[in-house]
Amino acid sequence: MRAIIFSWEYPPRIVGQLAEYVTKLAAQLVKNKVETYIVTYHDFLTGLSQEPNGVKTYRVTNPVRTHIGVLTWVLTLNQEVERAAANIYYQVNEQIDLIDVYDWHFIPAAVTLKNALDIPFIFSVESLEEHRAPNADSPYNNAIKGIEGLGFREADKISVKSRWMLKEIVEIHKVPKTKTIVVSQKTSGWVKKVLKTYRATAGGVGNK
Amino acid sequence: MKRKLRVMMLTWEFPPRVIGGISPHIFFLSKSLAKNDVEVCVVTCDFPGAPAHEVSNGVEIYRIDSYKNPAPDFATWVYLMNLNMQGEAAAIINKLKGKIDVIHAHDWLVATAGIGLKHVFRKPLVVTMHSTEVGRRDGIHSANEKMIHETEAWLTYEAWRVICCSDYMISHVKWAFGIPDDKLAMVPNGVNTQVYEKLQRRNLVAFRRKFALPQERIVLYVGRLVYEKGVQILINAVPKVLEKADTKFVIVGSGYMKEQLSKIVKNMGLEHKVLFTGFVDEESLAKLQICADASVVPSLFEPFGIVALEAMAAKSPVVVSDTGGLSEIVDHNLTGVKVYPNNAESLAWGITKILLDEKFRKQIRRKAYKKIREKYNWDKIAQQTKTMYEAVLGEYSQSFWA
Repeated sequence: MRAIIFSWEYPPRIVGQLAEYVTKLAAQLVKNKVETYIVTYHDFLTGLSQEPNGVKTYRVTNPVRTHIGVLTWVLTLNQEVERAAANIYYQVNEQIDLIDVYDWHFIPAAVTLKNALDIPFIFSVESLEEHRAPNADSPYNNAIKGIEGLGFREADKISVKSRWMLKEIVEIHKVPKTKTIVVSQKTSGWVKKVLKTYRATAGGVGNK
Repeated sequence: MKRKLRVMMLTWEFPPRVIGGISPHIFFLSKSLAKNDVEVCVVTCDFPGAPAHEVSNGVEIYRIDSYKNPAPDFATWVYLMNLNMQGEAAAIINKLKGKIDVIHAHDWLVATAGIGLKHVFRKPLVVTMHSTEVGRRDGIHSANEKMIHETEAWLTYEAWRVICCSDYMISHVKWAFGIPDDKLAMVPNGVNTQVYEKLQRRNLVAFRRKFALPQERIVLYVGRLVYEKGVQILINAVPKVLEKADTKFVIVGSGYMKEQLSKIVKNMGLEHKVLFTGFVDEESLAKLQICADASVVPSLFEPFGIVALEAMAAKSPVVVSDTGGLSEIVDHNLTGVKVYPNNAESLAWGITKILLDEKFRKQIRRKAYKKIREKYNWDKIAQQTKTMYEAVLGEYSQSFWA
């Protein structure tokens, strides 16, 4: 199996807890014979590299240097994420089984790659705009919520880390429970659960 | 049998959505390419009442959800609209089993969609730069403008070829983004003369009366009411022209300067001589252009100047500021009159020269019409564009992407 993980943070760039989680997950995936690529952002350490544990990382930067907000930064960075994912796709004879996308940032790239190349994706939810900015109703917040909504609609599977978050996405975004799975790193057997989700997703839409 | 060359045009405006010159440009280019054996698929923003999918004049048109929620600002809306455009265009190309030969993007307004599709499908990206932020704003003055400028630079960097509609624009784009010569191609804009030929056969006296008294000459301005278009210079020239010729100034279009300009006209006490029409429908616009004794294009920055070309097709003598693409379209005293940019005195001189000399007016009408028939006809432009596509595909076929 071959998977690409999209994460906007990955060491050496650490913003919150996501970088650490993705690091652990990628190492476990490689141990379980999943060829794992991580597409992530770094301002200047760009390009494809392989870590000693076998995880392959493809770091991209934003060609547009000046921005008026996080939203414009994210929306222009997505094309570089697509470029990196497409480069991997063509390099491995068009055989990518799935993309695992963390949070809203790279949902646009995942949707385009699904529409273009039939690569299924999992939307792994770390947090929601509704919780990060409670009661905020500005066009900025609503645009991010809209991108989250796009992810929920287009994802083949949605992975959350707790039953509470599951309840929240069902309530706020009307996500069908059948598409969801709860994977908590704190419980034993979490890797097995991730692998099971990956297998189910890869078998869902399939590659070209 | 070898299939036809297939192009996907990305544009934020396409009729009936008309905001500026890109919409008619792509309408006529696509139609003429289709006549020249090119399959064209246009992906554009939706518009009330227009179908999401249609085939018109041999062109397949897809109108995407253009993000209708309130956006934080215009630039962010553009990127959000591109998110939708890219997703939907990707599905269309997938349905065609990837069989699109060229992706042709028009301006930064579709930059991210074009760049994304290029990489995902590994197809050559051709870009037409109709304008630039540094030109529109006469420099870069804010983070927002810088972001747009950098997006334009990125788009031209990613392009296999960059098309500009005038030699002036070629040198401007070269200067603004440092593009090498072999990436640049000049293909002029065109004009459809048939629209005017049909209307010229009609009696337009009653139509003319709606805008001006029989003894008044009509001086027409068509364009957005924004600084770069120089409409404020025309308003300043109004009293100077009125000293010599009884004239009605008809201002067609809208923009952020409308209120300010109306106030100036009111303060001058010339409300009865200057008529702000706002947007008018296509047929009325063409009729107005035919009725106009002079058409004025006083732009400060004008990459091409399609309004001047349209006026010439309508056989309305043009007065243009000697700048950008306008300098190339108009030959001074032969196919129109050129005046100093940003100079109301000079503009008033040009207008009165045309209004007061009927023989000169006739001569200009004839020569201008001849020039646009020869140089700016869409069939010729489509052939030039097709040749350019073929050259790009020739190079592409030798690359590791093919």
